[in-house]
Amino acid sequence: MERRAYKQALFAVRDDHAALDIVQDAMLKLAERYAMRPPGELPLLFQRILQNTIRDFYRRQKVRSLWTTPVSALFGSDSESESDPLETLEVEDDSKFSEPPAEQLERSQVLAFIEKALERLPARQRQAFLLRYWEELDVSAAAEIMGCSEGSVKTHCSRATRALAIMLKKQGITL
Amino acid sequence: MNQPEHELASRIVRHLDYGVEQIGPGTRSRLLSAREAALSHYREQPVAGLAWAGQAVARLTHGRFSSARQLIAISALVLALVGIAYWQNSAPTNELADIDTALLTGDLPVNAYLDKGFDTWLKRSSR
Repeated sequence: MERRAYKQALFAVRDDHAALDIVQDAMLKLAERYAMRPPGELPLLFQRILQNTIRDFYRRQKVRSLWTTPVSALFGSDSESESDPLETLEVEDDSKFSEPPAEQLERSQVLAFIEKALERLPARQRQAFLLRYWEELDVSAAAEIMGCSEGSVKTHCSRATRALAIMLKKQGITL
Repeated sequence: MNQPEHELASRIVRHLDYGVEQIGPGTRSRLLSAREAALSHYREQPVAGLAWAGQAVARLTHGRFSSARQLIAISALVLALVGIAYWQNSAPTNELADIDTALLTGDLPVNAYLDKGFDTWLKRSSR
């Protein structure tokens, strides 16, 4: 449970330490506030807490960037040299990776591409996609966690899947 | 959601599951310790939860009893006020009814009470 949660947080915040902190916070909150709830309710509650904790992280980052952006503009930053991570993620078929099996390597590369593609998705689309397909929640549960209508969840899911399909196709990856 | 989209989503998810298996040992151990910390907190919770529940129930019942007491007191006060009001209204009526009965059933004619001379004679004779 916590590993998938960590990955979810990582796709959202793109920072190992922050993702670990988010998962830790979410698990503690679950234990502190909902210990008396029936065990069947806990996975859904955990998802809700996790998503809220990720949202809180975004809010804090927004506030922080309000202060750091003017400062970095004053003193200059190297953000312009930042490149699109997807462009650097070429699927290599080089024979120098002879130690691990070729299939395993390819799989890792596809995985890395998918993970980066997920990171690039709009937050709501990624959230809907992961809740529906990875966490296997039904539309109503996902809608409750996301605080939106069931129709919105379906739309977000559909858009996310289409966007991922386009990105994969561009890279010539077939799953 | 149409079928091809659903199938693609399922394939992507399979890769994501593979990604979960690939998480490094450092991250795994940190996640495990976070889980253990949360679980130890979870195990401590029932006692604290019961204590809290006990307090909450006590507070709730105390509140209920105190409000019941207040309700009884207010009801008694309202009843008393209604009783007093009823008694005040009914007492003069009874007095008047008694006088009327005495006047009508007495041997003395009613006009005698209106006569000032009779009143003076009554006061003198009572002394």
